Amino acid sequence: MGATLRVLAPTGEDTRAVAAAIAQALGPGDVVALTGELGAGKTTFVQGAARALGVADPVASPTFVLMRQYRGTLPIAHVDVYRLNRIQEVLDLGFEELLDEGWVVFVEWGDVVDALFPGSYLEVELAVGPDESREIRVTGHGPVWLARWERLEGLLGEWRAA
Amino acid sequence: MIVLGIETSTPQTSVAIGSEQGILAATRVARTHGGDEVVAPTVRHLLDLAGVEPSRLSGVAVGLGPGLFTGMRVGIATGRGLAQVLRIPIVGMASLDVLAFGVRYTRRLICAVVDARRGEVFHAFYRPMHGGVAREGTYQVGTAERLVGEIEARPEEVLLVGNGALVYRRVLEELGSQVEFVSAGHAFPDAAALVELAVPRFVREEADRPVDVVPYYVRKSDAEIAWDRRARSA
Repeated sequence: MGATLRVLAPTGEDTRAVAAAIAQALGPGDVVALTGELGAGKTTFVQGAARALGVADPVASPTFVLMRQYRGTLPIAHVDVYRLNRIQEVLDLGFEELLDEGWVVFVEWGDVVDALFPGSYLEVELAVGPDESREIRVTGHGPVWLARWERLEGLLGEWRAA
Repeated sequence: MIVLGIETSTPQTSVAIGSEQGILAATRVARTHGGDEVVAPTVRHLLDLAGVEPSRLSGVAVGLGPGLFTGMRVGIATGRGLAQVLRIPIVGMASLDVLAFGVRYTRRLICAVVDARRGEVFHAFYRPMHGGVAREGTYQVGTAERLVGEIEARPEEVLLVGNGALVYRRVLEELGSQVEFVSAGHAFPDAAALVELAVPRFVREEADRPVDVVPYYVRKSDAEIAWDRRARSA
């Protein structure tokens, strides 16, 4: 377990803005694991990050197609493992190849398949608050995120919770 | 007997249309990000170039890997879809077999090696024989260092073919004059060779059941996703 930042997003648009700020720190082959109950805003988060990474196409939930791919300044894959039961089914999506080929991969419910992740990845937990507000906990795992942590703290300064 | 071949299990997508008389049209395209989308348009384009109506196809052959999941998924799904819509038989061939078949005119033992990513290669050995190659042993996955050990244990010269051999060339070069590397122009399983291998199968009416046309795994994970670590909250 690495360092954790806690930020508050009063509205869905704020969740997108937080995601956009985090996206500034993402590079090829990065994994972002998204957790939080259904409706917590995992897809909303990816919408914000994808927009910041230059994706013009609308970003929709991948729950029923398992994976959606987008092309921005980096190739982006949005994976949802919710309907899968076996690690092999995730591998069948070409998960390891995406990482090798430099895709930024957002994985909804990613915490249950962290065995497939590289040594460094970012974990984003979304918790539902009053009304539209969300508490977002961002945890950096591994040396890559340790090295980027100060930068990430700066990018999220505006939303950091006390 | 006109056969369509689709081979997508490596970073080079290859499509070919051919018959007992030879190849009518063929392409090889290096894939980049998301380039799997080229398969269906390429099939259409080749049929047009060759002047072949889809209804004249007698069979579809697809490469089953082992290789990259992203490509295999697209190639196999495209092949199965076409076979179903056109109501024609389908056969699946191991991509390592196709790779070895492409360099069969040698007296040496052939070792087909495909990059498996994550520091490993898929490989298999083949004995060239009149009319083709015969595989010796099973499809394997392991590090290039392990493959060096396996080749060292064999008292004969080996021809190494495939992108895996080129990716790990520096490791495999430890074997010195015991091995020769097939050059980059022949480093990927080719749909033309796939068609050539598949035509006799269709002639003999030895097609596969479509449900059996699935990727070769070799490196298969039986692990379950750790959902018990958390309730899949509804």
